[in-house]
Amino acid sequence: MSLKKLIGIGMLVSALALTTVAALRTWGQAALQAPRPRVPSTESPASQAPPPTATPQTYPQAQIDAGQAVFQQNCAFCHGRDAGGGETGPDLTRSAVVAADVRGDQIGPVVHGGRVDKGMPSFNLSDQDLAAVVAFIHDQKTKADSEQGGRQRVSAEDLATGNATAGKAFFDGQGKCTTCHSATGDLAGIATRLQGLTLLQRMLYPGGGRGAAPVAIVTVTQADGKTITGKLAYRDEFTIALRDVTGRYRSWPTSEVKYTVNDPLQAHVELLGKYTDDEMHNVLAYLQTLK
Amino acid sequence: MKLIRNGVYVALALAASLTLARTAKTQGVDPASLVNRPTDSWPTANGDYTGDRHSTLTQITPANVADLGLAWAFEPGMQVSLKSTPILVDGILYISAPDHLWAVDARSGRMIWQYAYPPNKAFHIGHRGVAVYRDWLYLTTPDAHLVSLDSKTGQVRWNVVIGDAQKGYWSTEAPLVVHDHVLVGLSGDFDNLPGMLKSIDPETGKTQWTWYSTPPAGTPNATTGGNTWITGTYDPELNLLYWGTGNPTPTLNGSARPGNNEWTCSIVALNPDTGKLVWGFQASPHDTHDWDAVEVPILADGTFKGQPRKMLMQASRNGYFFVLDRTNGKSLLTEPFAAANWAKGIDDKGQPIPNPEKEPARDGRLVSPDEGGATNYRSPSFDPKTGLFIVSADDSYGIYFYKPEDGAYGWAGADYGLLGIGKVEAIDYQTGKIKWTHPIGDGAGSGVLTTATGLTFTGDAARNFMALRTTDGTTLWYSSVGHVENSPVTYMLDGRQYVLASAGGVLFAWALPQKAH
Repeated sequence: MSLKKLIGIGMLVSALALTTVAALRTWGQAALQAPRPRVPSTESPASQAPPPTATPQTYPQAQIDAGQAVFQQNCAFCHGRDAGGGETGPDLTRSAVVAADVRGDQIGPVVHGGRVDKGMPSFNLSDQDLAAVVAFIHDQKTKADSEQGGRQRVSAEDLATGNATAGKAFFDGQGKCTTCHSATGDLAGIATRLQGLTLLQRMLYPGGGRGAAPVAIVTVTQADGKTITGKLAYRDEFTIALRDVTGRYRSWPTSEVKYTVNDPLQAHVELLGKYTDDEMHNVLAYLQTLK
Repeated sequence: MKLIRNGVYVALALAASLTLARTAKTQGVDPASLVNRPTDSWPTANGDYTGDRHSTLTQITPANVADLGLAWAFEPGMQVSLKSTPILVDGILYISAPDHLWAVDARSGRMIWQYAYPPNKAFHIGHRGVAVYRDWLYLTTPDAHLVSLDSKTGQVRWNVVIGDAQKGYWSTEAPLVVHDHVLVGLSGDFDNLPGMLKSIDPETGKTQWTWYSTPPAGTPNATTGGNTWITGTYDPELNLLYWGTGNPTPTLNGSARPGNNEWTCSIVALNPDTGKLVWGFQASPHDTHDWDAVEVPILADGTFKGQPRKMLMQASRNGYFFVLDRTNGKSLLTEPFAAANWAKGIDDKGQPIPNPEKEPARDGRLVSPDEGGATNYRSPSFDPKTGLFIVSADDSYGIYFYKPEDGAYGWAGADYGLLGIGKVEAIDYQTGKIKWTHPIGDGAGSGVLTTATGLTFTGDAARNFMALRTTDGTTLWYSSVGHVENSPVTYMLDGRQYVLASAGGVLFAWALPQKAH
């Protein structure tokens, strides 16, 4: 008997919880737009080699200290108190934006404008506070770069162990690379555009590194027989979405339609499980000849 | 009239039951009760000592799970990732994030109190949860302290140092209470530090013992590392504690630390009262890929190939599934459960033999799994009825580099993940064969919970929390709440079964709908 009464109390509680549910709707929309990071969240943050500061800068200690205070209040929860990255914000000491920044010319627009697509709001800092934050971030990067235990760098020379002739044979033959690529077409001059580790990463899996990855094309067939083709915008077990030729975003429950996805990266995925290390180095050596 | 009399009776009965409940509540969690498998609480990170995350609750079934709806949601009110498992005691949930702990009403999702640890510059990678002993909570901190708080108020009782943060230790772990020990492990593989598991006095915070997985830094030809950052399990009959250990350091430079590097990347059995090692099993001898073998060592009793066994099972970050006899650490089964190209065979102890060709090298080695591993901190589950070990896994690939100029300190090399293809897998524990695979997209999913009605709760790599049928992996229900960050839990309160998981920094609770009177 008392059990029933308690269930009744539970019902009242869940009715009250409906308010929370409504409030969450807005949050859900924001989450939908945020792209999923390609780097697994389980990877140790300190395991990426930081880019070097392009233009070395020094700042007065008083400005760095002032910047630390502003940073703690506004930035530290996401980017960590030492700017070394937190649960939701990247490690700024390893950021390409910070490495390229000169006295706030790169950092400033990000702070003022935010990166809404990545979940970072804009911050309305005064010029003085922004300059101080910039000083603090650069100082933290200098400190972090001098630490011993972090990830080391890979130079282009380190990777020059392959045999280009064997690489060409693999490229034209068992690797089936010519199904999609051509040394005189899309890959002409690739070694001029990309070098070293970046070229290797793009070669192995173009979806995982810098630069634009080829987009998968999806064709959706609706229950009424109508088909729509476009660039794959989102896919999970329950939802398929594309941008059609007009750029319009459209989505369907996967249970209501049939669809086929042509993912140009699939061949790269399959090769990852087949490459020997020699083959990998050989193909890289071949690509390095395509200047 | 009769109705009213009944009403009075109900009120009296209710008052009586509440009084009883309140009397019981003053005890908090008696450590002796932790040997039971509770349904109205979730008193340790893994729910109970076996770590199997299998609930005997039966209200939610394959037949009605499609009716599951949101009961409540808890938003901490700050941008935070809730990777931890909430624990539940006396109707109150305790959930943590780095530097933060919240007490939340398990019936409504309402916050009761919150605690913020003072700002510190330590590594804020994540947090796994808290432990409870009587009325006291135990929270690890990014700068490697252990804080004891009053569960009623969130007031700090004491705060002790468990590792030197200046040297590079941090802690994210949910401690485990066994008898009068608070067992707590540490992290720290960017510096050459020995791994430690500590036993802390729950009343005073004094260290009772420290077990070192590796010798002190500077010991010739020896490794450091082997940290202990995921909560272990415990067998009360054998009085043995089971804990996984992390990678050796320097991490990618194996030449600086010849040999197998015991006890890194291992499962160890320790006496909880003395901290003495009883046996060890190395999941990755001489690891050079950061594959911590810390994943929950699940304990199960049953037959293995016709013989009754006390078993321990682990789906390890290196891509291998291990079944051991937990009385002595002897191998019963070793089989890969995900892409793994780094071993050239299995030795007579059941340990994979690392292929030297896949050690990090100057020109790079293409290795599966990548650094994040075939699975990671999110907990698996074992369903005893089907004999299926269910784990959220990845087929992943990375490139690994090391050259002598990288030195012999900390990471000592570089590695880069390329991609991971996520899947939930059901492994038959007697054969290691994959009974079913449920694709979940590119990347990592969440932890796993199974229930006695044949349900498996988990998340995909996109933004869905799902219920699958345990026998075949078919999706029966889902909710698109965002990428699930932690390992789900379930409990029964007031006759209602709740299932909880976190996504996007919000803790969600689902239950079957309640009918209005």
